[in-house]
Amino acid sequence: MSFVIGFSLLNLFIALGLSPLFEGVARKLRALVHSRIGPPVIQPYYDLLKLLGKENIKPQGKSFAQVAPWICFAAIATAALLVPMGTGRAPFGAFGDSILFIYVVTLVAVCLIMTAAASENPFAMVGASREMMLQLTVEPVLVIAVVTAAINARSFDLGHMVNWYHFHGPSISMIIASLFLFLALQAQVGKLPFDIAEAESEIVGGLFIEQSGPKYALLRWTMMAKQIIFVSLFTQVFIPWPETGNLALDILIHLAKVLVLVIIISLIDVVNPRLRIDQAVKYYLILVFFSLAGVAFAVIGA
Amino acid sequence: MEPILLLFIGFLSLILGAVVAIATHRLRWVCSWASFSFVLLSAVCFFYIAILVFTGGPVIMTEPLIFLPGVGSSLTIAIDPLSALLLLIISIISTCTTLFSVRYTARYQSESLVRYYPFLLLLFASIVGVVAVRDMLFFIAFWEIMTLTSYALVVFERGNEISLRAGFIYFLVTHVATACLIIAAIMLYVQTQAPHSFGFTALKTSLEMLVINHSGLVHIVLALFFIGFVTKAGILPFGFWLPAAYTVAPSGASAAFAGTMTKLGIYGVVRVFCELLPISHYSYMWGQVIAIFGAISIFVGTMSALTQDDSKRLMSFHVIGQIGYMFLGVGLGIFLLPINPAQATMALISGIFHLLNHTMYKPCLFLNAGSILYKTGTRDLNKVGGLLKVMPFTATTAIIASLSIAGVPPFSGFSSKLMIFESSIMSGIDSPHFIILGIVAIFISAVTLASFLKFLNSAFLGKLHVEGETDTQGDVPLSMKIPQGLLAFFCLLFGVVPWLPVRMIYSAISYILPVNYSPASGALLGTALPGFSLNSGQGTFGIWNPLWFLIAMVTLFALGFFISKAGMARTREAETWYGGREHAVEHVRYVSHSFYNPFKQLFVFTIGGIRFEGMYPRVLYPPRVNLSRIISGIKTISNIDQWLYFPFARGFLRLSRWFSRVHVGIPQVYILWIIIGVIAAMIVLFALPAG
Repeated sequence: MSFVIGFSLLNLFIALGLSPLFEGVARKLRALVHSRIGPPVIQPYYDLLKLLGKENIKPQGKSFAQVAPWICFAAIATAALLVPMGTGRAPFGAFGDSILFIYVVTLVAVCLIMTAAASENPFAMVGASREMMLQLTVEPVLVIAVVTAAINARSFDLGHMVNWYHFHGPSISMIIASLFLFLALQAQVGKLPFDIAEAESEIVGGLFIEQSGPKYALLRWTMMAKQIIFVSLFTQVFIPWPETGNLALDILIHLAKVLVLVIIISLIDVVNPRLRIDQAVKYYLILVFFSLAGVAFAVIGA
Repeated sequence: MEPILLLFIGFLSLILGAVVAIATHRLRWVCSWASFSFVLLSAVCFFYIAILVFTGGPVIMTEPLIFLPGVGSSLTIAIDPLSALLLLIISIISTCTTLFSVRYTARYQSESLVRYYPFLLLLFASIVGVVAVRDMLFFIAFWEIMTLTSYALVVFERGNEISLRAGFIYFLVTHVATACLIIAAIMLYVQTQAPHSFGFTALKTSLEMLVINHSGLVHIVLALFFIGFVTKAGILPFGFWLPAAYTVAPSGASAAFAGTMTKLGIYGVVRVFCELLPISHYSYMWGQVIAIFGAISIFVGTMSALTQDDSKRLMSFHVIGQIGYMFLGVGLGIFLLPINPAQATMALISGIFHLLNHTMYKPCLFLNAGSILYKTGTRDLNKVGGLLKVMPFTATTAIIASLSIAGVPPFSGFSSKLMIFESSIMSGIDSPHFIILGIVAIFISAVTLASFLKFLNSAFLGKLHVEGETDTQGDVPLSMKIPQGLLAFFCLLFGVVPWLPVRMIYSAISYILPVNYSPASGALLGTALPGFSLNSGQGTFGIWNPLWFLIAMVTLFALGFFISKAGMARTREAETWYGGREHAVEHVRYVSHSFYNPFKQLFVFTIGGIRFEGMYPRVLYPPRVNLSRIISGIKTISNIDQWLYFPFARGFLRLSRWFSRVHVGIPQVYILWIIIGVIAAMIVLFALPAG
């Protein structure tokens, strides 16, 4: 019981408390590539605080859009409890497995899409449609990577997968799965070249166009936390080394790995142009097809 | 009270209700409410019987009710937990759909109710008959009554040519299916010991004899049963009639079809392949067939649903897709029966659990579509929008049911889909094709979500807009709200407390399987109250505990709520921003048809005169017979030199011309070829023993 509560608080701290910091690092990096000085690293905290106090402009009449940001926030925070972060075990691993994780992350997308649709703005509707199409084609890559790990570990529990990979060492199937999951990360966290659903320069923020004030703060925070959660999943399940056995040191190592991956993601983000939605859909459908190779290797035990 | 007596009361009250409905059909209100009262009475009886069976064990009638010595058939009644589960479903669905119809039939002022309520009640009565009897002859008799009454409901709008055509196809196809059932039953009947009998026990013995003799007849009998049942269930390609028929039937009847009648196909498959067929390599082979057909239906049915803009047609295609999920689970279970008792039981439970969940959300969605039709007069999703503001209750139930069918936790579809995915992938370690089926199922689950988000976004969210009729004041009447609310409540209940239905289904499955075949429920499904864990022989491989999930969600929702209120931000209402200009609603609406267009285009293609929309074929123009082309085709085929000899000859010439290029006439190059050849030969020689 104390394990569940203690590690839940730790995961929430990393996913919610530290995610703006990582975002700040990413922004700083982008500024450096652009030859700018850029905002201080803790700027995203200031942004969130400022947004919380800003006026909340809502569409006329009662609508679903009022509740949805809270559900989004709750879902992404629950997803944080289902992923191990440096500890090798997810705090809620005894209550739900990787399939639940995938569906809770889907719930975030569902809420974003329904918020967008409820805001009655046609730009938001276009964004919602694009977000769902991306979800449709990117989710299978994530699913296939998780299924590959599950077949290897003979369990859908993320903790079991981490343990198995520690014990077993690198295998062909897991390397293939991590490669394809890495290619899918960029779209999962909504960064260029796949930030098609927001696309400030063509559909003016898409999903978020009608959001303002505290609601927008929560949705921004959700997106930042989502990035850290996916990166944690990747670093814990697919690159679980090195592990020392010392809890504090393991958590620090985990944070360092997350930082490195966030930097890589930001570098890809800053040097790439945006793809069109049909290009992205085709790209990921091809990835889905090839990522099945990982499953095939896992079945023969390689 | 004696359970059998209750069954008779329920059955007779349905028959009596049909008679009363005929007698009073001119008084529309009396007819509707009288039918509902009789249905309610029967539903209470069936519900009570189901509870009795689940708490006190199966009810079996020792003396046959009617005995036909000439054909060796007798009307024996037995309610085991599987039948009780179906009775439970019938009691809920019959009440909901009849209550919904009371006000809904007001839409059809020109149609006489004598062609609606009597047939609806007889449909329910025949379904009860199908699940309660233990004799193949009476089973088929009730099955046939069910087909005829449902046909009458499909063609309810007799002035509408589309309904008549859909009804005709339905009539034709389902009778071919029934003929398959009759032939299969007779083939088994002649194999029974003299005196011949149609009883399930006698048929079971004769099927056992056939299996022991390895007769090829077993495959024919099983194939006939399979075709008979899947045609009714709507598995593609046998269920091609389904979208047309379910779309044109009145919404109450469509909901009743989707909730009860479709499920009997699965009931039949489970009865025949798990109970009558002994566990053998035949179950191994036919399990794969059932699962693969299920996966095809999942893919094609749901992909075609994504391209639909007619609300009820969209729901009908999703019936095909969801039935596919059930067949995937059940087929996997039948496949595993001879191999792994624990996983076989689990897969069967997952299929039946999905059946139960589907029974709650799909009728609810049909009733939602019916409410939109009642309110706005259209089924076309391009013509409506923003109805959340007009009918908030319907919209809420539609959101719950849509999230359930899409498998979003903590709603009901998630629990059963989780079981289907995980058991198919884990059993796939030994038979890898099931992994592909499992991944198809997971992918299509996302497509289902996309399709229902399109339904919600275009019908309920967005700008309020209705083309045509303008009666948009207020929600639907209370008698139409209650059924939707009840079904949505069950979606939520089965999602939050999956333990309850899963234990019921466990007792149903373990009862029809051989004694002591399935492991104990604690060992199989764990003790993670109120959820379940999935245990194979080697340990736990999956777990789902909704209680803790909800605790986390509620706590974190409250956290988000307080954080967003902490800044004391003011709230202001404002017009939607359209880029700085005023526009009329119809100019800036994002209509249903526009959703996911680039994605849909990937699955739309035309071959000859047939257009495939989401893989589902639609004939654009009838195939024309061009005689001269056929004759020239025959000529081409008969000219063997033309297609067999010349291509080879030409290929050989081209190859030799290519090889002749190495003859450059320079001695050094020839020496180089020789060296390369020697090296290649050495590599081959060294590599061979190592390999």
